[in-house]
Amino acid sequence: MADIDEPAGAKRLTRRDLLRKAGVGAVAVGAASAGAPYAFAGPMRFKGRWLKGDLSIIQWVHFVPAYDVWFDNTWCKQWGEKNDVQVNVEHINNTLLDTRAAAEVAAQSGHDLFQNLHPMASYEDQVINHASIVAEIEHKVGKYGALGKASTYNPKTKKYFAVSDNYVPDPVIWRHDLWNDIGQSPATWDHVMAAAPKLKAKGHPIGIGQSQELDSDMALIAFLMCFGAFIQDEDNRPTLGSKRAVEAVSFMASLYKKGEDPAIFGWNPASNNNYLYSGTASMILNAISATRTPEQLNLPFADQLWIWPIPAGPHGRLGLEHVMGCYNIWKFSKNKENAEKFLADLCINYKQATLASQLYNFPSFPGAFPFSAIRKVAAADPHKPKGKYTILTTIAEKYTHNIGYPGTTNAAMDEVFSKYLIPQMFAQVSQGKLSAADSVRDTNNVVKDIYAKWKKRGKI
Amino acid sequence: MGAVAAATGRHRRRRLRYAAEGRGVLATLLISPAVLFIAALVGVPFGLAIYLSFTDATAGSLSGKWVGLDNFTGAVHDAIFRGALWHTFLFTLISQAVVIVVAGLLAHALVHGFRGRWFLRFLVLLPWAAPVALTAIGFLWFYDPQASIFNWFLVHLHIVSANNVPNWLGTPKAAMSSIITVQAWRTVPFATVIFLAGVSSIPQEVDDAAAIDGATGLHKFWYVSLPLLLPIAIVAVLFGVVFTATDMVVPYILTNGGPFNSTQVLTTYAFQTGINAGNIGEGAAIALFMLPFLAVVVIGMLFFARRAEVA
Amino acid sequence: MAWRSRAFSYGVVVPFAALLAFPFAWMAVTSLKPEAQVYDPTKVWSFHPTLAAYGFLFHHTDYLLWLRNSCLVGLMVVVITLAFAVPAGYALARLAGRIGRALGVAIFLTYLVPPTLLFLPLSRVISQYLHLSDRLWALVVVYPSFTIPFAIWLLMGFFKTIPQELEDAALVDGCSRFGALVRIVFPISAPGILTVVIFTFSLVLNEFVYAITFISSSANRTLPVGVPTDLIRGDLFNWPGIMAAILLPSIPLALVYNLFLNRFITGFTGGAFR
Repeated sequence: MADIDEPAGAKRLTRRDLLRKAGVGAVAVGAASAGAPYAFAGPMRFKGRWLKGDLSIIQWVHFVPAYDVWFDNTWCKQWGEKNDVQVNVEHINNTLLDTRAAAEVAAQSGHDLFQNLHPMASYEDQVINHASIVAEIEHKVGKYGALGKASTYNPKTKKYFAVSDNYVPDPVIWRHDLWNDIGQSPATWDHVMAAAPKLKAKGHPIGIGQSQELDSDMALIAFLMCFGAFIQDEDNRPTLGSKRAVEAVSFMASLYKKGEDPAIFGWNPASNNNYLYSGTASMILNAISATRTPEQLNLPFADQLWIWPIPAGPHGRLGLEHVMGCYNIWKFSKNKENAEKFLADLCINYKQATLASQLYNFPSFPGAFPFSAIRKVAAADPHKPKGKYTILTTIAEKYTHNIGYPGTTNAAMDEVFSKYLIPQMFAQVSQGKLSAADSVRDTNNVVKDIYAKWKKRGKI
Repeated sequence: MGAVAAATGRHRRRRLRYAAEGRGVLATLLISPAVLFIAALVGVPFGLAIYLSFTDATAGSLSGKWVGLDNFTGAVHDAIFRGALWHTFLFTLISQAVVIVVAGLLAHALVHGFRGRWFLRFLVLLPWAAPVALTAIGFLWFYDPQASIFNWFLVHLHIVSANNVPNWLGTPKAAMSSIITVQAWRTVPFATVIFLAGVSSIPQEVDDAAAIDGATGLHKFWYVSLPLLLPIAIVAVLFGVVFTATDMVVPYILTNGGPFNSTQVLTTYAFQTGINAGNIGEGAAIALFMLPFLAVVVIGMLFFARRAEVA
Repeated sequence: MAWRSRAFSYGVVVPFAALLAFPFAWMAVTSLKPEAQVYDPTKVWSFHPTLAAYGFLFHHTDYLLWLRNSCLVGLMVVVITLAFAVPAGYALARLAGRIGRALGVAIFLTYLVPPTLLFLPLSRVISQYLHLSDRLWALVVVYPSFTIPFAIWLLMGFFKTIPQELEDAALVDGCSRFGALVRIVFPISAPGILTVVIFTFSLVLNEFVYAITFISSSANRTLPVGVPTDLIRGDLFNWPGIMAAILLPSIPLALVYNLFLNRFITGFTGGAFR
């Protein structure tokens, strides 16, 4: 019945036109999609009339299906009814969000609210200043978390180029049974180095990727921080070329030789998970998706997967967020007020979201769901060992920093991240192609060029 | 007599003139819709893309400050770019060389009927019937370090030991050969069909004449079939080369340029730079870099084809 | 030497066919595995087969919708492509001289610009000038831009292999040039046209970048876009589902392609050369 001409989001037609054209079909679509797992809220009748305003949102397909069901069918529907706005949500694969963003900007038309899993610092000129939204949320639930603020605020232009609704802590997930057998635990990187050869000998290597993908990027940048090597300083100036960076790279190369498998160079974001699920890996650095899936699939060692913060290095225990949800509103959005209100309301009520995501999403405005309250919920999680998820609040509170720490996340840092320069820096040394000093020096030169370029554009 | 002859002569000339005019007009009429369509949908964005490569446009924006040749010189100084250039060359050349040889063999083998030909042809067509974006994802699974079925076979046929399995996507050489293999795998059916069409279009008389003359096998192929096949073969080679050089799906999904940029090709690097990192101008420059080279290759091959054309 | 040619045929085709089709066999095996056993190295070949993946595709995703969208777009693009490319191919093959050759090369050169770059300016065109954002019509309008050049070239090749004498004979018999085109050339080049249909359809199905860019809502997605979106959640790949999603359209499509191929090969030997 639906013909090729029917635009699902009805952007060009008002909903009245759509309904006049498609009659029952549209309502049927709305009703049908309400039953489907990835619903979009179809045209709604509420209080006997059609909703007045419009709002279109695009975001990723959440790892936890229940979150999308809650978001689309409960949250958006209720918010839409309360605010007299027709909300349309689209979900696409997170790897495609960058492409969509570029396309929407090029087309100067797209969704009112755009979410990506990393702060899109380079899009600063295409979005509004989100300061008023941040102020509104802070008014209701308290201060913007340091992590969120450092990720979405540009101190040079004094602009909030996005609002982060959530972030995902990045722990290590390790096989307690395997480590117990050799009487060790991954408390520090030195411990890991000591345990690695023994674990590898038993057929259970460590799994920290050095590939051109997100997980490797995150893990290695966090690893550098544990050794006191930072890509930029607190004034957003590049500082990669340090002795500590060379130490870190050599350490990791040595760890690779002693306790890892060559497979780590050809990974995609799912690979370290698979490494764990097949029973091989003894330790990976990943979000809790790596424990939730074994629970779901009833893998035999699901109860042996422990969650700990990133091992401590000589400089301390510093980790990054695994992904960070950041919403932005384009300058060309047609429904800015609705978008601003939606975003503010979402962050204020983020407790529901965190619960719906099974503690995957932590609120960037901690006041919405204080850590102590989250810990209580985590403690109630039935999976063994009991209370394993409570460590997440400790990790979120103490050991999670923004990309670009101690500086802020900016376009130059974003480019370093997107070009996977850090995994390349490590992999070249681990595979014996370059010495640690040379690799760090070369990468540092590239980083400096990138920073110079963005400085010229006035963004840092 | 003279008057009639003169009249018929004039009449014939006029008819010829009409025919000639009709020829030109008809040609224009037939070609222009296609040309206009392509000019609008490719020419205009192409012009815009060229413009972008001379600016510092970022983040999806279609305008920026003019920077002249900076993006291009910057690219040349970028080690990753130089690597990408070389890898593109390798990737295209080797995969298409394999494709041409295999497709040529397959086309000749499939042109005559034999039992089971229909089914075997169906099997040959499969890689191309499946959307490439999906089969590339499928190959991620085939090459998975844990669960690769190829490795399973290698281990169980005792070709390699279980702890020495090839790391298909993790070492530079293996990763390069993996993407070349997948690209060749998915292009072979395409080229085979084109060749098959060409081989089938060789008129039966030519075959018969060759048989009478005693030309068989390789001899016949080289002196008889190949010259006749050349127009179609050139089309197959050209399109294969161009599609491979401008396509990013296989390297992007399988290796994303890794390990450490050793399978980065121009298209994936342009994408990474322009879209993921937000440097539209630079990305455009990288993508356009190939253009002169490819244009030279294309024009050269077409020139060669015209020279070698029979009839 | 019939046996030699037969040995050559079998000797070449069987190994290559096995190599080319083996991944699909493995896809079929994987698609029947329960998701939990996919990562289990002890259950590579021995497992409990289940149709859960297929059920998931049909009941929990919009798979059928994506298939429908892909087919619709494919068919329309084929029609448009033929409408533009057949006349142009004929014109370039027969009628135009040097200008025609130059035009042919120019048309071909449009392929040299990767869609990974073109999609940005095109999205502006689609959205602002054509107002086709998030509609399947956007794809129907854009796809011919890369199928037409290829079709023109292929048809040029085909038209060139048809001897000029055939048309001249028709012209002498009193046909107009257009009549000769319709009555003589088209029937003989039916194989070529069929080939173009096959290629165009497969080019459309393979296309990914434009589909991502111009379409965002789930109901309007095509197959290559819908599958990664719904079957890959973050870092969890639903391998059985993905394999099932690849197999389902590929097998019928390969069958259809095979049928077309058959037609033109058998049709050809009974053609004008007797």
